[in-house]
This record gives sequence, structure tokens and C-alpha cells, in this order.
Amino acid sequence: MNIHEYQAKKIISRYGINIPKGGIAYTPGEAKRVAQRVSPRGPWVLKAQIQSGARAEGHFVEKRAGKEGGIRFLTGRKDIFEEAQKMLGATLVTKQTGIKGKLVSKIYIEEFIRAERIFYASLVIDRMVPCVTLLITAETTNIIDLAVNEQDKILRINLGLNDKINTMQLTQIMTFLKLEERSRKNLKAFINGMHQAFMDLDAIMMEINPVGVDERGDLIALDAKIAFDNNALFRHPDIVQMHDDYEDAARVLKAAKYGFHYQEFDTGSIGCIVNGDGIALTIADMLHNRTEQMACFLNVKGGVDKDKIAAGIKIIMTNPRVEGILINILGGFLRCNLVADGIIAAASEVGLNVPLVVRFEGTNKDEAQEILATSGLPVIMAHTMEEGVEKLLKAMEESD
Amino acid sequence: MSILADKTTKVLVQGITGLQASFHVKRSLAAGTKIVAGVSPQRGGTVHVGVPVYDTVREAVAATGASASVMFVPARFVKDAVREAVEAELDVVVTIAYGVPIRDMLEIKAMLKGSKTLLIGPNTPGIITPGEACLGIFPENIHHHGDVGVVSRSSTLTYEAVLETDRAGCGQSTVVGLGDDIIIGTDFVEMLKRFHQDEKTKAIVLLGKLGGMFEEAAADFYQKLPNKKPVVSYVAGTAVPFDYKMGYAGDIITRGKITAEDKKQAMRRAGIIVADSINEIHKCLQELGYGKESL
Repeated sequence: MNIHEYQAKKIISRYGINIPKGGIAYTPGEAKRVAQRVSPRGPWVLKAQIQSGARAEGHFVEKRAGKEGGIRFLTGRKDIFEEAQKMLGATLVTKQTGIKGKLVSKIYIEEFIRAERIFYASLVIDRMVPCVTLLITAETTNIIDLAVNEQDKILRINLGLNDKINTMQLTQIMTFLKLEERSRKNLKAFINGMHQAFMDLDAIMMEINPVGVDERGDLIALDAKIAFDNNALFRHPDIVQMHDDYEDAARVLKAAKYGFHYQEFDTGSIGCIVNGDGIALTIADMLHNRTEQMACFLNVKGGVDKDKIAAGIKIIMTNPRVEGILINILGGFLRCNLVADGIIAAASEVGLNVPLVVRFEGTNKDEAQEILATSGLPVIMAHTMEEGVEKLLKAMEESD
Repeated sequence: MSILADKTTKVLVQGITGLQASFHVKRSLAAGTKIVAGVSPQRGGTVHVGVPVYDTVREAVAATGASASVMFVPARFVKDAVREAVEAELDVVVTIAYGVPIRDMLEIKAMLKGSKTLLIGPNTPGIITPGEACLGIFPENIHHHGDVGVVSRSSTLTYEAVLETDRAGCGQSTVVGLGDDIIIGTDFVEMLKRFHQDEKTKAIVLLGKLGGMFEEAAADFYQKLPNKKPVVSYVAGTAVPFDYKMGYAGDIITRGKITAEDKKQAMRRAGIIVADSINEIHKCLQELGYGKESL
């Protein structure tokens, strides 16, 4: 689960990390008042609150929002209302949002901090070690290029689960960034604060880009992103409350309600229901080999509740972009007959207006096939995944 | 022989009294698995689906000599259950649950270090040695005793790989699902090592997918092996666009974005046969001289 910058900043400030004074605004009038409160004379920074990186380099879909990106620097008090009005309700597209972009429904207004220099710091899970790894680099843009081509420009330090950073590691970072000695104490508190928050809150990614160093040598978080482990949210009801439903498409939310994973892609017309992401990936590969694309897939995982499965299937059946459905279930924990019952329940409620191909294998497969065969639904059965893909494409062609 | 579990392996089941556990334990027993004990706190002294139940793993091991465990406990209790298994010095522990928190997995990996316990999973169908032992939730009737080892990083694709070996006319020596999660107990390298030591296994099917660098590690290890058994592989995820994500950190860790194509190339360079479609694995096996053409 991701949260917004303003929420992330609030969290890290509780762990002793300096953040600029700021406030959130949903309307231009509010923006003006918040600006006055955080910095009476300015300058200010207006930051679109969408959950994406590279907001400054992004662009708005609507002309009225102007040519600038999602982060705007303002010196005049009178411009705040106007700029907030331009951004609010407009759609911001960045390298990380996909072509549809994201609706800006709130902006964060901050005092502008004059940083003498900036750098990049993040904590992330390195699944191969595995451990929590601290990443530091003096660059703050094009970091992926560095990761590929100039690896020595990124410092990596593997951290223990509960240890604070030691003197040697601290010196290593100081030297790497060529920080002045007066920043040492602040740097130590900054990294330890990040690490403590990361562990306490079951984060899986925490990125502060950039970290600013002010004229006194103090460190300040000029941006912040945190992603949390969905599987650990049961330990953090306060974080669950920070979830912004507007960030997720309606179908994703609905699927999550039933404990399923739903994902939609920008193009394609085929909807899939599977019980494992690996199957979805494999079907996507097979479609790709035939120059077709998957529109969306629903992973019902190891679902054992017939009604939930039916509700999940409806999410795919009612997607207007879906012109054909492939259901591929390899039952182990999940029993095929439950899915067959779910298909019938969903179809009887919302109707089945597109070709549906079903491939069952594994636990209670025969029973499941029998259920569908006697249901009267025009379901096409397949024996293998490849056959399922071929039969669906053929049926879609014929129904055109 | 086979790897990890055979008909002589004494197995205990942690969380045996749950509804799902009961269903799968009955099936495992029917498949010949030597399940000697169940563990369920405060249910010690009872008998469940014909299996004696103990309060703790330690008691179960003392009474029965069990050396392996299959765990049906919910995700949030997995950490404590693994600790019990490690302290009782079990050889193999299979964790079925999905949704184990990553922080718990980091702690579990720390526990496993230096212990004699091998953890398979979490989020795995488990281990099956057809006709001998089933430690997990595998479907019925698709496994056949044979000489192809199967190891997969995608739970449900494990079944697909097994079906491909069936289509080729081969059976399986042992099938292992490594688990779908971000952090897993055991990786391809350990399984390649064991399959190469196992006399029964003549060839190996390895299923990889997007995410992490497990396939690259497998390729590195395989390249250096002096006496290689043939490995046929498939990597899922060629066509899927990357998830839209926040920030850069994930891609920095892997030193740039890694595609399924990168993984395939790494494996081909190491001498692994890579199928472009999962449903071509049976042909690759047949071309190597395994199984029957007619099937």
C-alpha cells in the first residue's frame, strides 16, 4: 500500500526527521490560507498529491492546467490561488502513472527550503540477500541510468533488522557524499529515523528524494515516499486509514474487498481469471505470441468461498473492455468445483455476453466440468492453457 | 531416492486441526505420506483424522521421530511456527500460507541461518514425491513416479510443469514449489544442487518468473556445475508491462529493470534449454530423449 507525500512526511517527522512546514489543500481558497500559515512571505512550493514519482517532470492532460508539471515554485502570494486552481481537478501524467495519469484532488503547500545541496536516500528490501538495504547517491534524477551504467555512484549498505548504523557506516556515507563534519550527527539521526520507521511500520520501500542540506548543515526531507507491506497491515490500523481510495480503480478496490488481486492494462480486450499471478503472466505471454493483449486479470488465489469467487468473476464479466474471457484454474488448495459454481452464479446475475473459455485442472476438476456441462451456459472447455487461448481467440473472431 | 521427502520420511503437520488442513492431510495420507503426528496447541492428546495430536513440535518429534513438517498455520503465526520447527531441528519445513509479512520473513531467514532446517515456501503448494510422499496441497491424479525433477517459483505453474512432463510421457522424481513470495525460504540453487546429487533424477524442469534474480543465480550455479543434468526452463512474464510503481528503489537494487527476456538469456548462456511457451516444455523433454513421442 502506498501513501501520499504529505502523509509520509508526517510519519517520518515523528521519527525525528526534519521536514519543511506544510499543509494540505483541497480548494484554491484553502491553498491561499495554508500558504499564509506555512510561510507568510514565501516563496512556496505547490505539490500535486498523487502517488507517483517524477511529478515535476510530468505534464497535465488538461490545457487549463498550464504547461508546468506537478511541482510548482511560486514567489508571489497572488499566484497561489490561480496555480492551485489550475492543478486541482486536473490529470497529471508522469513516467510512473501510465498514460491515463492520475487525478489531482489535493495539493500540498510547503515553505520553500533553500538547500545548499541535495542527495538521494532510500531503504528497500533486497530480496536476494535478503535484508533491508540503504541506498545513497549524490544524484537525484536519472538514478536508474546510474544503477545500470555507473553503479559505483550508488552506495549500498545492508542493514540489520534492529541495529542502528555504526560509526564505520556513518563515515562511509559522509565520505561518499562529501558532507561536512557538522552534518554527521544529523545524518546519523536521519538514517536511524528512516530505519526505525521502516521496521516499526512494516514498510517495503521508503524513498527520500531529495534530502536537502541547509546552510547550517542540517538535513531536511524535501520529498518522501513510503510503501507498506500489504500482508502486515493487520498490525497497523492507523496506516490502513491513510489509504486513499481515489488512487485505485473501482475494480481493484472491489477485488481487494474479497481478498483477490485485480490488475488492468492500458490496452487489450481479453479478461482472465486465474488462481496465481504466474498463470496470468503465462497467458499474457501466449496472447503476446499471437499479437493479442490481456485487458485485465483477476487472481482469486486460494479462495475457498463460493460467493466471493462469484463476486470476483462479476468484476471481469462487467468490464466493458472485455470481449472474451479465459478462466484457467489449476486447483490445489482452490477447488475447481467452487469456481464452476461461481461462474454460474455470476452469469445468472449479470449475463454472459462474450465468449467464455474455461480450463480446469487439479482438485475436483471432473466435478467442476460436470457442473458447467449441465448448466446450460455456452461455456467452451479447453484441456491446456494453450488450447484455451486458441479457442478463445477463435470464438472471439467468430462472434465479431 | 528422491529429494527432500520419500516414503520413509516421517512427517508432522503443524496446525492439523484446521478445516483446510484436515482436507489436505486426508489426501496426503491417501497418497501414502507417512504422517505420524499433528501439532495444535491445547489439542494435545487427541486424535485428528486418524493422526495423534501434540501441543508442541518438540513433543511430537520426541514421541514420533518426525523429521519434516508441513505447516497449515495462518500467515501471521508462521514466524512462531517456523521457530518451533527450527528449535526442534527438523530437516524440512513446508509453509503453505500466503501473506506472511516481509519483516517476519526477514526474521525467519535469520533463524534459519546456521540451523539444519530447510524451509520451502511460504506461499507454495509444497513438495511431492509421486507415489511416496506429499507435503502440501498438490492436486490429485496428475503426478506420476518418474525421473524428471520439477522446481518452480510460481505455485500454480508448478502444476502446469508437471502436466508438461506427463505430456512428454515422463514422470516426476520430486516436485518442489519454492513459493510465490518476495522472500522465500529456499531458492533454485539449493534445489539444483539436490537434484544433481539425486541418482533418480535424470533431467530437471525449472520454472521461473519475473521479479528478483533467482533465475540468474540458478544460471550462474548451473554454468559452474561439472556434471550437468539437462535443465528445461520457462520464464513467465515476457509480455507483461511492469507495474506502475512509485520511486526508483526497486530498480536500483537489481541494477536496472530486469525483464523475462534477460532471465532467459542468462539461462541459455549457462546451457539451460529455455522454452518460449510453457506448453512447449514437453517437446523440449522429448527432444532430449525423455518420455515418448506418441503422447
